[in-house]
Amino acid sequence: MAEAEILQTFDTQAAAQRSFGEPVLTLENISLGFGGVKAIDDVSFEVRKGEVLAIIGPNGAGKSSMLNCINGFYKPQSGSITFRGRKMPSMDPHFAASNGIARTFQNIALFRGMSTLDNLMTGRVLKMDRGFIWQCLYWGPAQREELENRAYVERVIDFLEIQAIRRTPVGRLPYGLQKRVELGRALAMEPEILLLDEPMAGMNVEEKQDMSRFVLEVNEEFGTTIVLIEHDMGVVMDISDRVVVLDYGRKIADGTPDEVRANQHVIDAYLGVAHD
Amino acid sequence: MNYPDPAIYDTLPKLLRHNAQSHPGEVALRLKEFGIWHETTWAEYLAKVRRMALGLRELGIGAGDVVALLGDNDVDWVSMEIAAHAVGAMTLGIYRDALEEEVGYLVDYAGAKAVFAQNQEQVDKLVSLVDKARTVEHIVYSETRGMRTQDDPRVLDLAVLEQRGEALHKADPAAFDAMVEATSGDAVAILCTTSGTTSNPKLAMLSGSRFIRHVITYLKADPKDHTDEYVSVLPLPWIMEQIYCLGFGQIARMTVNFPESQDTMFQDLREIGPTFLLLAPRLWEQIAADMRARIMDASAINQWIFDKGIKLGMKAIEEGRRSGLADVMLFSALRDRLGFSRVRSAATGGSAMGPETFKLFLAMGVPLKQLYGQTEMLGAYTLQAGSELDVDTVGPPFEGCEVKILNPDVEGVGEIVTRHDNMFLGYFRNEEATRADMRDGWMHTGDAGYFDSKQRLVVIDRLKDIAETSGGVRFSPQYIENKLKFSPYVGEAVILGSGHEFLTAIICVRFSIVAKWAEKNRIGFTSYTGLSAEPRVYDLIRGEVEHVNASLPEKQRIRRFLLLYKELDADDGELTRTRKVRRGVVGERYGQLIEALYNGAQSAHLDTEVTFEDGRKGRVKADMRIMDVGGAPTELQKAS
Repeated sequence: MAEAEILQTFDTQAAAQRSFGEPVLTLENISLGFGGVKAIDDVSFEVRKGEVLAIIGPNGAGKSSMLNCINGFYKPQSGSITFRGRKMPSMDPHFAASNGIARTFQNIALFRGMSTLDNLMTGRVLKMDRGFIWQCLYWGPAQREELENRAYVERVIDFLEIQAIRRTPVGRLPYGLQKRVELGRALAMEPEILLLDEPMAGMNVEEKQDMSRFVLEVNEEFGTTIVLIEHDMGVVMDISDRVVVLDYGRKIADGTPDEVRANQHVIDAYLGVAHD
Repeated sequence: MNYPDPAIYDTLPKLLRHNAQSHPGEVALRLKEFGIWHETTWAEYLAKVRRMALGLRELGIGAGDVVALLGDNDVDWVSMEIAAHAVGAMTLGIYRDALEEEVGYLVDYAGAKAVFAQNQEQVDKLVSLVDKARTVEHIVYSETRGMRTQDDPRVLDLAVLEQRGEALHKADPAAFDAMVEATSGDAVAILCTTSGTTSNPKLAMLSGSRFIRHVITYLKADPKDHTDEYVSVLPLPWIMEQIYCLGFGQIARMTVNFPESQDTMFQDLREIGPTFLLLAPRLWEQIAADMRARIMDASAINQWIFDKGIKLGMKAIEEGRRSGLADVMLFSALRDRLGFSRVRSAATGGSAMGPETFKLFLAMGVPLKQLYGQTEMLGAYTLQAGSELDVDTVGPPFEGCEVKILNPDVEGVGEIVTRHDNMFLGYFRNEEATRADMRDGWMHTGDAGYFDSKQRLVVIDRLKDIAETSGGVRFSPQYIENKLKFSPYVGEAVILGSGHEFLTAIICVRFSIVAKWAEKNRIGFTSYTGLSAEPRVYDLIRGEVEHVNASLPEKQRIRRFLLLYKELDADDGELTRTRKVRRGVVGERYGQLIEALYNGAQSAHLDTEVTFEDGRKGRVKADMRIMDVGGAPTELQKAS
């Protein structure tokens, strides 16, 4: 029964069409500073449902800070974030996580001593209602809940083709696979918006191709909205629907890959024209 | 053991229906999916085949049509195969890693009307073939992932096909039974591709009743029953996997288990603990090599136990017994680790296997037996008895199978020719090839061999591969290659020397293990090419070659070798899909290297075309060093 229900949720989500009309997340005039340094300076953009949005920019442009503001890890000093009809000065991390914003990190943040499976199960913690006492008992509602969540995690494992490393401690896995496990953990949260911080950094060409394929398939199969930061321009231009370009904390361009490629500000920022 | 009467049950659909009626609740198949083993009983198996068969008939598939199957080994594949037989169609299995053009050739040649293509990857191959797959009217897939955007009108979801089949069954419950009754054991059921070491594969026509009768012949030599567990890891298009998954499965009711994915094979093997097992020599070699690689990471004491245990065990096996001590200290744990604890019978076949690897598994307590056969003869027709240590022969022929040596020379060596009542009916749409191989009712195998004093067949090599040096020394490249491949560091080897003064070798290192060795010895490398060009790797391999040379007669020793910059690959046509070396292709492609091996040069330059996994082609230029192996035997060097 449990499995059938999960199958259904998969199907209905997957049936969602690619339509980038309505914004699911709106950021208005966000500014964030650390002491005297302005990491983000008055940036506004919106994330539309079902799209793959890339945030690019030179080192120190404020990309990761932007993601950290979206999932509530940083609190911007000014500006507002609108998500699920709630307009807030800053995002609350718990609200973000329990309402379908999942992320991966630039430096892998997995539990290295735990197996792939256990790492993925941590992605389901917010979906479990039973408390500590129930979970101490082997039988009963907590067991049922565990089984349902395990079934979901197994689908993610199947999706990412990581069956062979199910029981392997992630610390022993090669870098590319750890990245994939981290994506898996984020997917286990059934996210509506997936934030990926440099998912392809440090990978070889083959691993990059695999990862790109997974990102696109997540987007197509589950209709998940994806916001990603990436340095590899080839990847960005290939897989994104829209690109936001940051430079020195400011937004200098926002549009389709073709528009951004032709934008003079972007060319200047990347080729290093003197700022005066 | 009583097996169903082949006179009554002469087709697979009839057998399946019989099993479903007599043992409806017994488990027939198991498939691991989403981390759980899902069981299919005989009744469910039949129901699935019924839905598929009725669905296929509605699509217009009937007698004389060809249904091609393309994908991983799983329940859908075997069910679809039997369903196709039920509507009177012939089935053609295609290797899952076949490239687009190979798929195109087979589908076009056989004129397949419907194709079961498991997933997006396989469907894409067919869709992009367009013109070459003109006969294909239906493409049925089972995995929906990535199929949403597929808009080719021929593409159909298996679930939809089964739903229609179920509706048809409700409307007319007698339809399927009538269909099964109408199947004839004399009709061609299976088109089985030959391995094609020389050219495009040919399709051997196998009829239902001959298939079933031959399986029963086989079972007399190696009985199986419903308590047997088998894990299906070899490609299903291969004749032996057909014999086991469909033949043994239906006739002996052996349970067939399908692993979760190719990568999880060894884990799944351990979970099932099979009682019967067939792996290609390459896989046995890989298991042995992986074992050695893992032990490199183990503590000193464990390494000592391993070495000691292997030594004891191997020595005991050579004396015709097993070492109890070695079993306690090492082998029982190894068997458990590898999932071989319950193995009652294990086989290797497809190509020859090195004697050392063979002995290693015997020492481990895995009752490994060599078998020998051809697709045309419905797979194996000889099998070792297993009663005594025998690393050279492939055993006596099965009951009712005749094998003789044609034109034997003074030592009794000649071409192996064979016949039995249940052999193939000829090659599909290729009368000429049938006439070439079948002369006076005997199948000419093209293999050289002889019978030993106990009437056991010994297979030496392909007749045309047995070579002679310009000095008149006859040698079997395969025999020496297998010796080399026993080294964990050697992945693949090609021995050259026909018409030349001495023997040389092109060697591919086994990347996983040499990489580990390099890491341990602090040798930096970035890729396979880099690793195989590393001087210390050359030294390592030279040691292995010298070791092999020491066990060979002087004239058959390898004098020079080079390490190839890449692994031999089936996609480049260098290996067959069952991973046998295609000497013709290797000789042609690496002519520049072979020349350098014999003209005394210290390095070889290569400029050649490669095929990438997606079928695109590119050019590769590479330089490889050539190493001389010391002419003096190892013993002498030590003494001085």
